[in-house]
Amino acid sequence: MRALIVEDEPLLNEELQEQLLDEQFNVDCTTTLREAKDMVAADEYDLVLLDLGLPDGNGLELLKMIKKLYDETAVVILTAHGEVDEKVEGLEMGSDDYLAKPFAMSELRARIHAVMRRRFKISDNEIYAGKLTLNLNHMEVTSGGKQLDLTETEYKILRYLALNKNKTITRIALAEHIWGSKIDDRFSFDFINSHMKNLRKKLSEAGISELISTIYGVGYKLTTNEA
Amino acid sequence: MKLNNQILLGNLVLSAVVFVVSGIGMYYLVFSTVYDELDNHLLQHKTDIMNQVQSDPASLNAIRELGGLGSYEWVEIERIDGQIDETENSYASIDTTRYEYQDTPEAYRRLSTQISVNDTTYSLKIYEEVAAWENISMTILLSVVAGLLIWILLLYLLNQVAFERILKPFYNTVDTLETISKPSDFDEKFPGSKTHEINVLNQALNIMMQQISSTFEEQKKFIQNASHELLTPLSIIRQKAEKILSNSDQLDEDTVKAASDIQHTAVRLSRLSNSLLLISRVENRQFNLDEDVRISSVMSEVLDEMKDFIDMKNIHVSTNETSDFVVRGNKELIQSAVYNIMQNAVKFTPENSGIKIEIGGESGQKELKIIDEGPGISAELRDSLFDRFKKSNGHSNKLGQNNGNGLGLSIVKSICKLHQFEYSVKNRKGSGTEVTIRF
Repeated sequence: MRALIVEDEPLLNEELQEQLLDEQFNVDCTTTLREAKDMVAADEYDLVLLDLGLPDGNGLELLKMIKKLYDETAVVILTAHGEVDEKVEGLEMGSDDYLAKPFAMSELRARIHAVMRRRFKISDNEIYAGKLTLNLNHMEVTSGGKQLDLTETEYKILRYLALNKNKTITRIALAEHIWGSKIDDRFSFDFINSHMKNLRKKLSEAGISELISTIYGVGYKLTTNEA
Repeated sequence: MKLNNQILLGNLVLSAVVFVVSGIGMYYLVFSTVYDELDNHLLQHKTDIMNQVQSDPASLNAIRELGGLGSYEWVEIERIDGQIDETENSYASIDTTRYEYQDTPEAYRRLSTQISVNDTTYSLKIYEEVAAWENISMTILLSVVAGLLIWILLLYLLNQVAFERILKPFYNTVDTLETISKPSDFDEKFPGSKTHEINVLNQALNIMMQQISSTFEEQKKFIQNASHELLTPLSIIRQKAEKILSNSDQLDEDTVKAASDIQHTAVRLSRLSNSLLLISRVENRQFNLDEDVRISSVMSEVLDEMKDFIDMKNIHVSTNETSDFVVRGNKELIQSAVYNIMQNAVKFTPENSGIKIEIGGESGQKELKIIDEGPGISAELRDSLFDRFKKSNGHSNKLGQNNGNGLGLSIVKSICKLHQFEYSVKNRKGSGTEVTIRF
């Protein structure tokens, strides 16, 4: 899989590159619109991470160009503008997702996963976390053929942790994933804690304990022994 | 009142005055002319009679008999005894009936005088009918009135046709101004005109609108750039901190705590700047306000978003919808305002209590009330509640300590102001806070 990162801030660009390399992408990077256009014209990418506020133009131009050249390319817009209009415009022009800065890397990972799954119609719509199987199509979690009875929020938490397995997920990132960034932290942390308590209880009832560990003062981590 | 109608009204009043004054003047002028003429006529008659009698005194009787016969003009001569010192003429207008069979008296002009014939004094009265002359003056009066009416009609037509045409460019300008709700709507320029004043007006407006429009654009760009320039570095800070945290197993507790604080602060700062940017965008009117927004559906979407928190705190939400209504505005913003109020309500209401939502109001007002069972708001805070960075602990914003950034209600305030909604907060008797938005 080939990915292109168009982001003018070098440090962020670097960070994104690292993340995508982690996800087994073949990554190209650029900081300008002009260069990005050249690269898109020369190669077909599977995924483009696109910052809209580029020094030499609006990223929407590149989006237009990509959609004209290759319909298959998945585009995720990264922007700090917070402009609702621009978001709508981007989605209408065919971008696959939209992330407002500052976002958590775990959130980006989850979004990329969802986008790639949608774009390339991956038939394997299950993710595995230890003994658990999450069916993404039906929002079902099974353990050894037995279905777990989870609430929607619990399912979302589990899915998010599973998509970011073996990585520590901060509570802020988790709260933002579930309720968006509008919600107050302290307010939502209590809720995360209590949802997590319920989730853990249900998991241990199904015979799965110690799948999710708490990193004190930071967040949670879903650990599996698989690679 | 429209300008052309004001001009019309002014013209009408002025011409009515002129016509009334000149009508009355003409009436009296004609009247006095008519009587002068009559009196001259009578005097001439008298002179004729005197000349006749002087040259032939015997014809007096014949004159008396013949002169007494006329119906429009006749003569009465009677002998009077005694001497008179001098002959004098006196004129009088009298109403009388000439013949018995006449029903209504007619107006006559009478000349009374004395004449001496062969040392005998006679009183001479000469009558002449005025009626014919009065008809003429009435005709004149009528034609003056008719002239006035025709003039008013002409003025009206002039107003409708000529003024409308002359003032058309002016009205076009006024109409265009009326439809401009924000500077970015303004793309067509006000056209030039043959009329000097309108030309000047339109040019001045063009320059003004251009300046407003470019200031608006600059401001908008500045806000966008400011947010971009702020949020991108914050994004990096956050991601670096999260990167440290993702390997927290190998770190000591202090480092984890520090990295976690950095992450929290970065997130807090970015939310703060997002809120400030939202407020400044709202205050700079950078939103479309022409959507139809159904308040009940906004409310149910907000409740849906907050469902987790409401359930978790076991809060009972009761919605009392007396009327369902649609308001005009920006859905995103109205939802954001309702969300902020609702979030406060959920935050401050104790567990296992209730929140009441009332949509509608007495006598069909467009109103939304959210009533919680929280501790209420202290009196000294109530006035400044909607100001930026005020919080119920009485201190200004402390990063990292308090949850919200204190901007929630000032977002509500600026959104309400933009939409010209009224908002108010009051404490309920007992406990709880009641927030009302009147659309």
